[in-house]
Amino acid sequence: MRRLPALVTAGLSVAAAVAAAALVRRRIGPLRSERGIAALRLAARGGVRYAGSAPRLFAAAGEKREQLRSDLALQTAEDVTATLGDMKGVLMKIGQLASYIDDGLSPTVRRTLSRLQDSVPPMSSELAAGVLAEELGQPPEQVFARWDPEPIAAASIGQVHRAMTRDGRAVAVKVQYPGIAETIAADLGNVSLLRRMLRLAAPSQDVDALISELRERVSEELDYRREARNQRLLAAYYDGHPTIHVPGVISELSARRVVTSELADGARFAELASWSQRERDLAAETIYRFVFRSLYEVRAFNGDPHPGNYLFHGDGRVTFLDYGLVKHFAPDELQPLMQMARFLCVERDPEGFRRSLEQAGFLQPEAPLSTEMIVDHLGVFYDTIREPGPRTITEQYASAVVRRFFDLRSPVSQHMRVPSTYVILQRINLGLFGVLGQLSATADWRAIAEEIWPFVQGPPSTPIGEAEAAWRARQLPGRRPVTVHARR
Amino acid sequence: MTADSYATAAGLVERSASAYISGIPDNPADDGFFGPASITWRVSGGLISPVAGLRSLILQALHPLAMAGVDQHSGWKQDPVGRLAATSAYVSTVTFGDRATAERAAAVVRRIHEHVTGTDTVTGRRYAAGDPALLLWVHAALVESDLAVRSLLATPLTPADGDRYVAEMVVAATLVGVPRAMVPAAAAELDSYICSVRPELQCTPAAKESMAYLLDPPGLDEDIADIWQDVRDAAITCLPDWAREMYGYHAPEPLTPARRTEIRQALGILDAAFLGEPGVLEARQRITARMRAAQSA
Repeated sequence: MRRLPALVTAGLSVAAAVAAAALVRRRIGPLRSERGIAALRLAARGGVRYAGSAPRLFAAAGEKREQLRSDLALQTAEDVTATLGDMKGVLMKIGQLASYIDDGLSPTVRRTLSRLQDSVPPMSSELAAGVLAEELGQPPEQVFARWDPEPIAAASIGQVHRAMTRDGRAVAVKVQYPGIAETIAADLGNVSLLRRMLRLAAPSQDVDALISELRERVSEELDYRREARNQRLLAAYYDGHPTIHVPGVISELSARRVVTSELADGARFAELASWSQRERDLAAETIYRFVFRSLYEVRAFNGDPHPGNYLFHGDGRVTFLDYGLVKHFAPDELQPLMQMARFLCVERDPEGFRRSLEQAGFLQPEAPLSTEMIVDHLGVFYDTIREPGPRTITEQYASAVVRRFFDLRSPVSQHMRVPSTYVILQRINLGLFGVLGQLSATADWRAIAEEIWPFVQGPPSTPIGEAEAAWRARQLPGRRPVTVHARR
Repeated sequence: MTADSYATAAGLVERSASAYISGIPDNPADDGFFGPASITWRVSGGLISPVAGLRSLILQALHPLAMAGVDQHSGWKQDPVGRLAATSAYVSTVTFGDRATAERAAAVVRRIHEHVTGTDTVTGRRYAAGDPALLLWVHAALVESDLAVRSLLATPLTPADGDRYVAEMVVAATLVGVPRAMVPAAAAELDSYICSVRPELQCTPAAKESMAYLLDPPGLDEDIADIWQDVRDAAITCLPDWAREMYGYHAPEPLTPARRTEIRQALGILDAAFLGEPGVLEARQRITARMRAAQSA
């Protein structure tokens, strides 16, 4: 906790995520056995964590809610408020994030928070159609050639309907709950409870600044147009990629509370478990390539590690869904990350590695630590890429990586902090290594990384790599790398 | 007797949740005494329930004989949370259970009450828990608290629905042994009944001590304790002035729209924790589904 003030000045919402992670561990950890209390504790601390979760306001399809309870459907905007008002919508977001951000949560607490998500019924078909009509000017039957009034999936503050456009394209239409923006805004408009919780949780923080940052994020995230922009960007970049597929956005059928994109179908993550290990390895390779190609070339990172956001088609082909949380990095933010990998793994220059850490703000300059200790402490993040050759990512490895990121106990931690810009990278640990660990994926990760690292530009190392190289060769000159300016 | 002799309030949320669930049947033989189209179902188990429950306990405790019965017999101090949970389970069963189940539960309560007799040390009066006058007070405090808290912290019932609710609840009083003719069947009757009992009310040491425990229960986790402050303040805010004065509680912060929202937010968090307990969501969904079906029928 002692490192919080610096983080706050650096970047409020992300700082809150760090605070949250520390809090979750510090406050929840020891109480794991006291299930209900721990859950409440978590909920009550929500204000802080919510700040971290705000960028993730549009969550993945609620995989857990496979069976949508149409008999409980929300009929009116008032039903939405009754269900998601009084902090419940806010807490639901916190719950979604908490399940990503920290390893210290017991499965029971995770379940507890996911209950909130389960507790939100779908909209009735009339209610959903009403929102769509308000946004697109006409009722769905007129906007679309065909419209399925039954939702196919739940999104955290909306639901997904299947439809067919007038020009014959099958699409998924995400429709936001009416009034949800106002409801959540109202909960954030009356901030005395939040302020009290934040004061309790993080007394040294500038609570009011944190809250205003929070409000800003929320209003941003409640606008589906932003998500559509990010999805369009990545869809354009990956156009024609052999194994990575980003569904295209139909801009003219998207608005603030509606986003229409090309319908994608495929096997869910859970089904992948029954596929051959070879298939799982190929899928893992594609996920790995997607994360690092996006990061290094589009300088964008899809911060949603939810396994429900992947659809699998076999032979390593994967569709990536949901762009509600995309973080854009500036070149000078990305540079130190590349330097760190380069010095540690390629140049094998521990002192250079240490300097990069200091430059990025991860490590205090002149910290009284031997470089060996630092490499020992942080090397775990690079375990899969320090040496060539096939390596299997195990669940144990994934959870060690996650724990290490916010580890406050090690003596090295005393002199380290996670700069606000990079806090979101924890989602790489969770979203990438967590998923790869669940797949027990094996590959020569180093060789793949070398293909992607701009400072190496290694040759294709796998069949997917070959196909990717061909795709890159086909890309128009000057189109790569895509220059991105995050816009609101 | 000091407050130190009370057991801690740990497990409040968990045990309240089990109590609530225990009353909600999977396959009811019938719709019970209220049913899915009733106002009672509509107002039961919502966000404000903890406040309404606490407010009704504060009022109920002002009847010296009712308080003495609880104080001297019910194992209240040894296991206050268990005692509250037992009451919650009973209320849940009578509200949502089928008729046979509700009647069985009521018979158990009546049987327990038979053995609860004694002398109140403050007033020197004899009491019996089965005394319809005491039972009626307990009933009235509960019903009136639901209405009062709802009107201040939630969407108030229309006057007609308020009357309907009071009338629906008459059967709950008769189940524990109050003759129907004694039970107020409209909101105005309920208010005048409560006024008529006021001369008998008194803040005895037992009442003061029990409520001191409930308002600041020891052994709660720090975060529950934080939320509980709002539940407590809300309950005190919603009390009639005379009751607040009898206890000597400070006049509450005015219930501005902002304060009301804050209270509701705190209750929302508490409700979320409640919802996280195993089975609560399913139980609520069973009730909602039946109410929906009744609506569309």
